[in-house]
Amino acid sequence: MPDVLSVIDRFRPAGAALVLAAVLGFASPLAALSPTRVPSPKAERITMDVGDEPGRISTEEVTIKSGPFARQMVFFRSNEAPGTIVIHTSEKFLYLVMPNNRALRYGIGVGREGFQWSGLVKVTRKAEWPDWTPPPEMITRQPYLPRFMAGGPGNPMGARAMYLGSTVYRIHGTNQPETIGQAISSGCFRLANGDVVDLYPRVPVGTKVVIRHAAQI
Amino acid sequence: MASKGGGMMARYAAGVAVVVLAGGLAGCMTEKASLPSSSSPVAGGAYQTIPSDGLVGRWGLASYRDEKDRARTTAMARSQCRNAYVIKKGPTDGVMMHVADDPKLYELALKRSGDGKTYLGFAAPPGDRQDREVLEMSSNEMTMRFVDPDANTRYGTFIYVRC
Repeated sequence: MPDVLSVIDRFRPAGAALVLAAVLGFASPLAALSPTRVPSPKAERITMDVGDEPGRISTEEVTIKSGPFARQMVFFRSNEAPGTIVIHTSEKFLYLVMPNNRALRYGIGVGREGFQWSGLVKVTRKAEWPDWTPPPEMITRQPYLPRFMAGGPGNPMGARAMYLGSTVYRIHGTNQPETIGQAISSGCFRLANGDVVDLYPRVPVGTKVVIRHAAQI
Repeated sequence: MASKGGGMMARYAAGVAVVVLAGGLAGCMTEKASLPSSSSPVAGGAYQTIPSDGLVGRWGLASYRDEKDRARTTAMARSQCRNAYVIKKGPTDGVMMHVADDPKLYELALKRSGDGKTYLGFAAPPGDRQDREVLEMSSNEMTMRFVDPDANTRYGTFIYVRC
């Protein structure tokens, strides 16, 4: 794990914009949160739809190794307590808040246009190699799919899942790590399997999760 | 997939002439792990075909990879009848089903290999890469897996429970 100085050095290409975003966007009180899109019945039906294919394999070892979406410690000024997860959908980053104005940052894939949301939730459940139930629309397109797939390497849910509140949304792995940094999901937040495996033990049930969807600065 | 599918169809059409499917259930598929009795060998004696009528119907379909997940996967398959996998009889006594990664339906046949294993697939020798191996079959439940190791790893073992 790089120390904070080397991270800040690596952080430089992203520029002050990210620091500014951290200061302006993440330090505001939670009471100011207002979902831009709340989970709707329609969203529930199509969660895990577009871009989620079972016909791919990604093991627990797959991580994002370079570039801004690689897991790294960063400078992160926030009023949130250490241990809190802050997700910024516009930047496609998940921050695990650490002491001393630092955070462990992971690159993520987020909901596609119209399926991004913000809010305050808690991790209500965790699962290793979670099961997957393709939505009916996906069965229509790929009728050869099983209607239920027990967890495993070919499963689009990936190696780990953390369930967010009572919503249908999750922080989970993926069998398509190339989609990290993209807006392709139906509202879930996906990490490369190796990264979600790294995050999983750091996040106990009950962890506060702040999802922000702010305009790019 | 289209070209692959077309190739599959051509392959089936070329081979279907040698596939002889016995008619009727003839007491098949009534006991778990008791596969249908074979019909006469096909020309050349390479393999035998088996009546496939017992596959026709609506099935709850689910898959697993780890044996510890089998029981609950079977339960999940049983609960999937609202979105059932429908198997219809094919034009030449096979059944209309999908192969891996292809949304088109093809006529597939049950085949028995010399070592006693049963496969479901195109009119090719049993154990062909595009076949499914039939692990268990009864009137109400079937267990299959793809012969292709890659497809088997990705999709796992399929459990069909009759609706």
